[in-house]
Amino acid sequence: MEVAHPANCIGWRAVRAHAYLLHRERYNHGVRSLLALVFLWPALASAQSLTITAPAAPGGGWDQTARVMQRVLAEIDPGSNVQVENVPGAAGTIGLARFAQSERGNPDALLVTGLVMVSGVIINGSPVSLSDTTPIARLTGEYEVIVVPATSPYRSISDLVAAFRTNPGGISWGGGSAGGTDDLLIRLLAEQMGLPASTVNYIAFPGGGAALAAVLGGQLSAAVSGYAEFAGQIASGQLRVLAVSAASRVAGIDAPTLREAGINLDLANWRAVVAPPGLSDAEQTALIERVTRLTSSRQWQAALAQNGWDDLSLSGAPFRQFLLAEQARIEDVLRRLSATNHDTPASLAVAITPLSVPYAIGTMLLITFCGVIIRSAVARPQFDRVGRRMAGSIGLALLLLPVAFMSLGFVIASTALFALVAGSMRGASPRAATVAIDLLVGAAFSIALFTLFTGGLGVSLPSPWFL
Amino acid sequence: MGELLNGFAVALTPSNLLWGLAGTTMGTAVGVLPGIGPALTVALLLPVTYGLDPTAALIMFAGIYYGAMYGGSTTSILLNTPGESATIVTALDGHHMARNGRAGAALATAAIGSFVAGTIATCALSLTAPLMVKLALAFGSADYFALMVLAFVMVTTMLGASPWLGWCSLLLGLTLGFVGIDGLSGQSRFTLGIPYLLDGIDPIIVAIGLFAVGETLWVASRGPEVDGVLPVRGSLMMTAAEWSRSWRPWLRGTAIGFPLGALPAGGAELPTLMSYAIEKRLSKHPEEFGRGAIEAVAGPEAANNASAAGTLVPLLTLGLPTSATAAVLLAAFQQFGLQPGPLLFEHETALVWGVIASLYIGSVMLLVLNLPLVGLWVKLLAIPRHWLYAGILVVASLGAFSVHRAAGDLLLMAIIGLVGFAMRAAGAPVAPVMIGLILGPAAEQHLRRALAISQGDWTVFLTRPLSASLIVVSVLLAGWGLARSATRNKIEA
Repeated sequence: MEVAHPANCIGWRAVRAHAYLLHRERYNHGVRSLLALVFLWPALASAQSLTITAPAAPGGGWDQTARVMQRVLAEIDPGSNVQVENVPGAAGTIGLARFAQSERGNPDALLVTGLVMVSGVIINGSPVSLSDTTPIARLTGEYEVIVVPATSPYRSISDLVAAFRTNPGGISWGGGSAGGTDDLLIRLLAEQMGLPASTVNYIAFPGGGAALAAVLGGQLSAAVSGYAEFAGQIASGQLRVLAVSAASRVAGIDAPTLREAGINLDLANWRAVVAPPGLSDAEQTALIERVTRLTSSRQWQAALAQNGWDDLSLSGAPFRQFLLAEQARIEDVLRRLSATNHDTPASLAVAITPLSVPYAIGTMLLITFCGVIIRSAVARPQFDRVGRRMAGSIGLALLLLPVAFMSLGFVIASTALFALVAGSMRGASPRAATVAIDLLVGAAFSIALFTLFTGGLGVSLPSPWFL
Repeated sequence: MGELLNGFAVALTPSNLLWGLAGTTMGTAVGVLPGIGPALTVALLLPVTYGLDPTAALIMFAGIYYGAMYGGSTTSILLNTPGESATIVTALDGHHMARNGRAGAALATAAIGSFVAGTIATCALSLTAPLMVKLALAFGSADYFALMVLAFVMVTTMLGASPWLGWCSLLLGLTLGFVGIDGLSGQSRFTLGIPYLLDGIDPIIVAIGLFAVGETLWVASRGPEVDGVLPVRGSLMMTAAEWSRSWRPWLRGTAIGFPLGALPAGGAELPTLMSYAIEKRLSKHPEEFGRGAIEAVAGPEAANNASAAGTLVPLLTLGLPTSATAAVLLAAFQQFGLQPGPLLFEHETALVWGVIASLYIGSVMLLVLNLPLVGLWVKLLAIPRHWLYAGILVVASLGAFSVHRAAGDLLLMAIIGLVGFAMRAAGAPVAPVMIGLILGPAAEQHLRRALAISQGDWTVFLTRPLSASLIVVSVLLAGWGLARSATRNKIEA
């Protein structure tokens, strides 16, 4: 495990800021036209919209938090349009990076986050951290459960722990991303038992939901995750809960705590929401109010009870302080773990690293490519002069398009592209009359698309720099 | 069965019916227009359907997929330019029928055959999908990896002029798929230090680049237009003789199309070719083949629709796309935060069965859209070619931009488009790029997970019966493909 080098982060941020200035768009919100009546409109446009990014695969804890928020917000505010977007992987840091990058300054976006992301940022050396977002509120907490399939020989946590002590590598644990709460719990468990962290065989899945299929299929000895992710299968008897990671027994979960089995360990997986960077104080306050209205609603409390989540709501400045403290604490825990586990990768005993397969495939690509060239298996099509000129000018226009798009705006760039492509495809040398017609048709088409997208679909397109 | 009925309740709500109609209409239109296919259309629509209810959007996308299989035949028959790669075979005899004044009958047997095949294959889908789901739960990471390897081998062996070119396409897709942050470790790979690449290469941009830009450049490079559209002549009614010559090919086409579509063989091209070959062998008039035999239209048209339904079986139950369109559909599911696979049937019962039920309804809609209204679709071909492709490129660049609102995506689209053009010029198939791009990262994760579970023991792929048999089949197939190409080269030399 490796901790992010501060210089990397700063360098990356500078590059990103530069890229951002280059890509800066001027939005035109003024155009709302008749074309908005096109049939796509009613389903897409709405008064108050909110996009909640769940940085995990569906079925995971962050996803469930986002979906419950979506449902409750729709109930307490029927006019609102709340969307959930899943961006899974790498302890949520992929979602975090995308969120901080593409939602910057958007006051109608929230990212579900939590303990897992705090540690994920550190472990993965993510260039974007939670400090790059605007803290809004902590919402819930959930304790971890250790489950085994109903057919498992392990009847109690003592059985499992005994087997783990005898042959640490023989027990395959499954759960969420490497370095997440699930992983942390198992590594802390190993530490408590005096087993070196490098012997732990922990298998990371994109989310608890993905680990579910593997534990049900009997491919894992045990799975670790929040209770809610296994609730359905526990109720139906497909999974058996061996232990819960709370300090004292949790109502509704029929399992002893780890402390009862003599392991001095408890861990809560808190979840929170943050907003994109670059918000004004007013926008931040509005979002906090919106989330507070959510957490104080009757429906939210009912949902908490139903999912077995504890209410840990905390917003504004106190939450900001909590977040800072938690970041410091997690970094400390991970340092201690990585000290005992310095050179070993997270997925142990495995000969392949994250780079082996890509390099192998890349090498094979080069070899095959050279092979194809040498064997001349390539059929050589004969292009006539006209065709070559036609394709060449279109290709050149496309390569220049990004610059035109961002400086001249969508309408002008697209009109030019349209006329150029149409002119080339006509084949004959251009005449004033055909060029004029192509420009007119292209302009009409581009303006229609621009109006439809900005007015009807709410997709902002770049305007010319001089407007 | 109850689930399917509930699915009909979902699909028959007025708004979902409307989305189904929108999808089938658009699908027919893009099927008719050469140069735009279902994969591209779905890719272009993904960014704008983002805010839509997932069920509605997926019903529309499924309609586009089915519709394109119908619409493609129109262009093949009347223009001798297949609108879709799946209707290349149709053009062989369909266009001759049109020149013989039997355009009406050719269009009718294509549409009715598509309806018959679509309906039967959708029934087969409803019956086999739940069985596949049960089987899929037994799939571990090792088995998934072996299955994906088989998919890679089949796609490269079945498509394109030479397996070397197929492998080259696939490896290109795989390499592109590894760009970005690794899902298991969080390490960045192949990003060349460019922050833009940290997010990975979006399959939607690649689909737009390969299919819209690559195709436009390719058409442009062939020089100015030559083909003309034949008018629809002859009655749309088929004669009794034509009916009796059509119904068996429809059924045989369905029987070939559905299972081959479900196999990871890269789409509808193979089933249509097989159907043509079988009809020719069984026909009492083999001499008519190539000069306007109705069986040669009826069989392949049924086969391509049945294969569309077949493709949905592995897509929905295993999350395994077997054609370029299926790969884009998988991206569509993922956009809505849905992961096709056995658990999808458990968690999103209403959505899955709603989409399946919409396919039954879509088949009926398509019959109505395509038989009486065929004259209307032909008018689409009156759009001048230079405006059509100019419009496609404008819409393509708009679609690529609206995915992330990033100018970098436009540059990527242009570069991928040029690569796609080069691949077409070299005779390399483009579908393996999409399949590799989408399945590659998943296959790699399954490989690493399988090895983590086995504690680094590589024999895990040979000790599990499922994975062992899949690996053996893959190796045999790959060997056969390469050997076949070697002997073919020797004969040519």
